[in-house]
Amino acid sequence: MIQQSREQALALADAIVAIKDRVRLCGRCFAVTESDPCATCSDPKRDQSLVCVVAEPRDIFTIERSGAYRGLYHVLGGVISPMDGVGPNQLRIKELLTRLSTEKLNEVIVATNPNAEGEATALYLSRLIAPSGVIVSRLAYGLPIGGDLDYADDLTLARAMEGRRTL
Amino acid sequence: MRLTRLALANFRNYQLLECEPAPGFNLFVGANAQGKTNLLEAIAMLGTGKSFRTSREHEVIREGEVCATLSADAVVDAGEVALACTITAQGRGSRKVYGVNGHPVRYASYLGRVRVVTFTPDDLRLVSGPPQGRRALMNAALAQESPAYYGALASYGRILVQKNAYLRAGVPDTALNTIYNERLITCGTQLMLARNHFVAALAQRATTIYRRLVGAGGEELTLCYRPNVVGASPAQADIAGAFAVKLKAAAVSEALRRISLVGPHRDEIEFLLDGKVLSNIGSQGQRRSAVLAVKLAEYGVLRERGGEAPLLLLDDVLSELDAQRRDFFLAQLAEIEQVFVTSTAVPPSLIPARIFEVEQARIRQREL
Repeated sequence: MIQQSREQALALADAIVAIKDRVRLCGRCFAVTESDPCATCSDPKRDQSLVCVVAEPRDIFTIERSGAYRGLYHVLGGVISPMDGVGPNQLRIKELLTRLSTEKLNEVIVATNPNAEGEATALYLSRLIAPSGVIVSRLAYGLPIGGDLDYADDLTLARAMEGRRTL
Repeated sequence: MRLTRLALANFRNYQLLECEPAPGFNLFVGANAQGKTNLLEAIAMLGTGKSFRTSREHEVIREGEVCATLSADAVVDAGEVALACTITAQGRGSRKVYGVNGHPVRYASYLGRVRVVTFTPDDLRLVSGPPQGRRALMNAALAQESPAYYGALASYGRILVQKNAYLRAGVPDTALNTIYNERLITCGTQLMLARNHFVAALAQRATTIYRRLVGAGGEELTLCYRPNVVGASPAQADIAGAFAVKLKAAAVSEALRRISLVGPHRDEIEFLLDGKVLSNIGSQGQRRSAVLAVKLAEYGVLRERGGEAPLLLLDDVLSELDAQRRDFFLAQLAEIEQVFVTSTAVPPSLIPARIFEVEQARIRQREL
């Protein structure tokens, strides 16, 4: 910083202030955005009946990069982890249930991480949503594409076996 | 299986060490506090990825360094395998990276490549000590044997921590409690099934070995697995069913006491001598004999189930045993493939294949 010009320092300072001023959370899906509702929520070409639930805003970028998903999102703001002081009330679960009652949704895809906390969160959501009749699904576990059975660890292989499907 | 080369870098008090163990008994001999046990700890970590001495594994990194490296070449039935384990200090803890034949692998596929059975003076309290020690015996053996067991154990532990934190917070949420319980049932039932089989095999061997040790007319040693949840039959569905019923019955007291009260984290192994609880009636000598029988049985079960002999690590334990028990122990270790022994002197009746003198973090192979 010391080596750089005053202009460069000011530009960085402006950028930081701009983040504070302009970037906020989408009022509908809680993604990081400059416009509310966010670009995804206001895109009429996206499937309005499909919601993908993620833990953090950055997970949206990861899924978008794949280009495989054309629905909407909902950011929980974490996963249920009592040991970190995060219970269901600390997450945006109420907001999700509100969306379920006000929007015409057919399916909720839970895309939390495949660990103990992500799994508990996914199950919790499915219990809550099930009575509404909306389908709740979970990302599949399995073998990496282009991988080799030989190099898959046994746990992944066991999960892939459990989650197998008919051809 | 056996090691043909062992190398340590910045591990405990060792800056750099390389040695070539032989088949049979390898003896690390030297005065106290020279680094003998550190060598066994290194071998155990190469096998299991875990230290048998500490849970704060950054402690194994040599003072002033950021990273400890262990590596070994092993001969197993399937051929040769090169193992590596690097422990790097990270924040207040550490991070471990495992390698097999030069490729980084996840812990789940690393574990079990080289299996180890350790026997330390602490194990002599296996019978009289707290139940954690007996659960640790089952976990150490089963996790090395089956990645599925290790996976279930790790998940179970994690869910238990979360459920306890949920109970401690004191904010009731029936749905969340139900989910934690269901996950505990799934993983916990797997643990209890495997433990049941393992203890049955262990008990059978231990009874036979104990009989041989005390001679004809002596007492009968029996080991009983006492799971916290008992099903109508040892079948998976029955255990899971009983687990659910017991969790439901305990729900109020769990909420009240704010801790999980049901599951394999409260399992126990009971040691009986002629049908009476050994820790109540047994003499010091009888308890030691029982431990000896169990350790030999553990080695036998792992050898039988794994198809080849695990490495045996004996930390200063031979000097803790009297002459009769020591001779018996060594005589029972028939067809051993490789054993690592630490001692302050060459134990009587032990014929080492190779002796390494350990002095101030240096080792020298003694000419035989």
